[in-house]
Amino acid sequence: MATLEISSVKKNYGKVEVLKGIDLSINDGEFLILVGPSGCGKSTLMNSIAGLEDVSSGDIHIGGTNVTGLAPKDRDIAMVFQSYALYPSMTVRGNISFALEIRKVPKGEREAEVERVADLLQISHLLDRKPSELSGGQRQRVAMGRALARHPKIYLFDEPLSNLDAKLRVEMRTEIKKLHQRLKTTIVYVTHDQIEAMTLADRIAVMKDGEVQQFGTPQQIYDDPANMFVAGFMGSPAMNFLTCTLECIDDCYGLSVTTSDEERYFLPLQHGDSSLQEWIGKEVILGIRPEQITHVIPHKQEESSVARFTAKVAVAEPTGPDTLVLINLNGQEVDCRVHPMEEKPAGSDMEFMVDMSKAVLFDPKTEKRLL
Amino acid sequence: MKTNVTSDVAAALSTEGVLADSSAQGSRSVNPLDLIQRWLPKLVLAPTVIMTLLFIYGYVIWTGVLSLTKSRFLPNYNFVGFAQYEKLLDNDRWSVASLNILIFGGLFILICLLIGVVMAILLDQKIRAEGSIRTVFLYPMALSFIVTGTAWKWILNPGLGLEKLVHDFGYESFQFDWLVDPDMAIYTLVIAAVWQSSGFVMALFLAGLRGVDSSIVKAAQLDGASMPMIYRRIILPHLRPVFFSAFIILSHIAIKSFDLVMALTGGGPGYATDLPATFMYVTTFSRGQIGLGSASAMMMLGVVLAILIPYLYSELRGKNNV
Amino acid sequence: MSDSINTNARRVRVSRIALYAILLLAVLFYLLPLIVMLLTSVKSMADIRAGNLISWPQEFLLDAWVKAWSSACTGVSCEGVGSFFWNSFQITLPAVLISTFLGALNGYVLTKWKFRGSDIFFGLMLFGCFIPFQVVILPMAQTLGWLGLANTTTGLVFVHIVYGMAFTTLFFRNFYVSVPTELVSAAKIDGAGFFTIFWRIILPLSTPIFVVCIIWQFTQVWNDFLFGVVFSGGDTQPITVALNNLVNSSTGVKEYNVDMAAAMIAALPTLVVYVLAGKYFVRGLTAGAVKG
Repeated sequence: MATLEISSVKKNYGKVEVLKGIDLSINDGEFLILVGPSGCGKSTLMNSIAGLEDVSSGDIHIGGTNVTGLAPKDRDIAMVFQSYALYPSMTVRGNISFALEIRKVPKGEREAEVERVADLLQISHLLDRKPSELSGGQRQRVAMGRALARHPKIYLFDEPLSNLDAKLRVEMRTEIKKLHQRLKTTIVYVTHDQIEAMTLADRIAVMKDGEVQQFGTPQQIYDDPANMFVAGFMGSPAMNFLTCTLECIDDCYGLSVTTSDEERYFLPLQHGDSSLQEWIGKEVILGIRPEQITHVIPHKQEESSVARFTAKVAVAEPTGPDTLVLINLNGQEVDCRVHPMEEKPAGSDMEFMVDMSKAVLFDPKTEKRLL
Repeated sequence: MKTNVTSDVAAALSTEGVLADSSAQGSRSVNPLDLIQRWLPKLVLAPTVIMTLLFIYGYVIWTGVLSLTKSRFLPNYNFVGFAQYEKLLDNDRWSVASLNILIFGGLFILICLLIGVVMAILLDQKIRAEGSIRTVFLYPMALSFIVTGTAWKWILNPGLGLEKLVHDFGYESFQFDWLVDPDMAIYTLVIAAVWQSSGFVMALFLAGLRGVDSSIVKAAQLDGASMPMIYRRIILPHLRPVFFSAFIILSHIAIKSFDLVMALTGGGPGYATDLPATFMYVTTFSRGQIGLGSASAMMMLGVVLAILIPYLYSELRGKNNV
Repeated sequence: MSDSINTNARRVRVSRIALYAILLLAVLFYLLPLIVMLLTSVKSMADIRAGNLISWPQEFLLDAWVKAWSSACTGVSCEGVGSFFWNSFQITLPAVLISTFLGALNGYVLTKWKFRGSDIFFGLMLFGCFIPFQVVILPMAQTLGWLGLANTTTGLVFVHIVYGMAFTTLFFRNFYVSVPTELVSAAKIDGAGFFTIFWRIILPLSTPIFVVCIIWQFTQVWNDFLFGVVFSGGDTQPITVALNNLVNSSTGVKEYNVDMAAAMIAALPTLVVYVLAGKYFVRGLTAGAVKG
């Protein structure tokens, strides 16, 4: 177990820059998630940490040691692959003990270690099977077991759950979280699934185009996104982006929206300050999450951050615990999350309340945060 | 798939990068074992690289050089420019061989493709015992051309072979002496070569047919197309790549044809069935005209390249587009 | 209505019969030479002259086989094709094993340990599959002479390895391309090196491609004539050369039964392989062809 420090790491394939200067550092025992759309460089970064690919410039330190030029085997890491990469010709036991065997660990110790890992992951009954005789979930466990069989400084997980079906994925997610809480290991985990990122991480690095867009705790990333990409990538259904004009009425900054019935409403901003001065009268993008636009909740509606408006329901999609209602504001579609009991059928008017305390503003050109 | 490719590229590029890195940051000591590990892949491939460069490319150049010399029984390096090529083009026997390869190659390829397609389509009609039939069609491919030549030489024997068989069936006037007829002997080569290779072409096409998405065929049937129509308009166009590879392989077999001629006709009667391959052999090794033989070998290479390069070019371009 | 169904059914039945008739004819065409060879090889010469290609032997005799094996004249010597049959084994076995093993290693490097230039090299090598060998035999003959390998089986083994390697490498490369590279990555992280990964991870997966490759190389080398006739001397010839000498030697009376027996002897090993492992044989042919 160890810290991980990545400083100004760059990677080129010929003229193509895949990593454009990555800086990340995590503490001993932290769970770091690299998340982003495919092609964002997260897998390349993971492979660079593992030593499977060499970086063009920059340094990687694991536990204080510079490992930049070292072969994978000398970095003291373990990795779980997306395809599991279980050795087809070996039994589960052989797979788990292979690394120990290569490192010339005595047989007795090897067997003890296999037993320990198998117990931990509840795969003792599978030890003598070949990978081809296992189900997807079982393979996944064996792949984790192979990584756990040593005590490396860092565990690397490369989209380990993406080949599982939805139900199993959720189960294994919990299991990985439990395992991390128990073992307190340093983990780097690559995924394109933002829910996995939110649920598992101590810290998330959101990546795009070979750059880290934002690096922070899950809640920071969710509540306080650095730019429109991060805001739109994290959260499902995605944050609403609403183009509207910034106004200032009686020293109160806010945005006006128009419903499909040509009804105008003013949505006051909570934290508006003079830095927004120059944007008055200009178009900005309001970012607001669906769960912040709800049916009217009596005890909340008096809060100062809350505004109310009435709009026509365009589409209602029940998800079970709540219903997603699509309305139209400023000619743009907006998702709202309402309680099923309060849901109104499509075409009818419904009263909403919007909690502006977590609303964010973006510059429509640079897509960076304004507020 | 795509990620695989990039990671392969990365691995390919990385070896160099690492070495450069470690020499630049000389402070970090490099374990000699690690250094060997890094060079191992190249070391392992090295013998093959050397052999390929030497025994294929080096030898091609060498033969090219010999073709520009007066070499007779032994190679010498008295250069005479393209005189051997001029001599070759004036050579009667070479003209016969060239004409023969056109006749033989053209007929052989055409008939093999035809039989291959037809047999593949017939076998694709949910035939009983398809496996055994396929086995029978293909076994000639396991034989040496020498064996094939020997067998057909006997079958086509003017006195005791096919002719006698037909006579015994009652057609006394039947005559079949192609093997000793200078004008017809070349066609006996076609018969034997087709017998040996057509089953293979059939197997290629059958594999191609099995690869056609059956839902496309079903959709066409629902659209009311008849089976012949479906074959002509949908399935056969699908098999275009198979046609191309079969064509390449067959022309390759045709140009290299040597054993079959040696066994079946020995190039005779006279030199009526000489092919470039036998011409090259006889000229170089029996008649001691190494310069001329080399020139003929280079001509063969030229023909192969003329067929192959456009093919490879289109293949590679096609792959890049995907 | 039912009338049209009847005629339709009848038409289908007629076309099915025609279909099987055509296939049967084709089967006969392909089988005929083998049947003729077998029948002829067990007849006496008198029987051959009296009957025809497919007439049943009056008496089954193995005389021709015995003569072909041990006393028929192949050019200068008259000791049958037996010793040449063993020559062929002596040439084929090492050539096949070595070229296959080298091909496996090459394929492994070319897919799992790529380096700058390795793809270009593969392209160059692939090209080697296609050149007409006439263009290399003269320099090779001279080289073998210098090395003292002219007219030896060792020399032939060497030639077959050199010119077989392009194909074996192609087979293994195309097979290993589909083996996930992550397996190698995982093994690297587990601490395994180049050869450990090859022995422990890659080789155990390679059985099918080894079978395909060995069968392909076996038929190629066994059936070779060009290299055999150019590079071998009197008593180191492979069976194909001996058979050709036997059939085309113009001395004495032609004994077609002996010719056919000798041809059968030359054909037997590859035929046996084909019958036992036909599936792999076809796979090798189509793989080498379609991808090559």
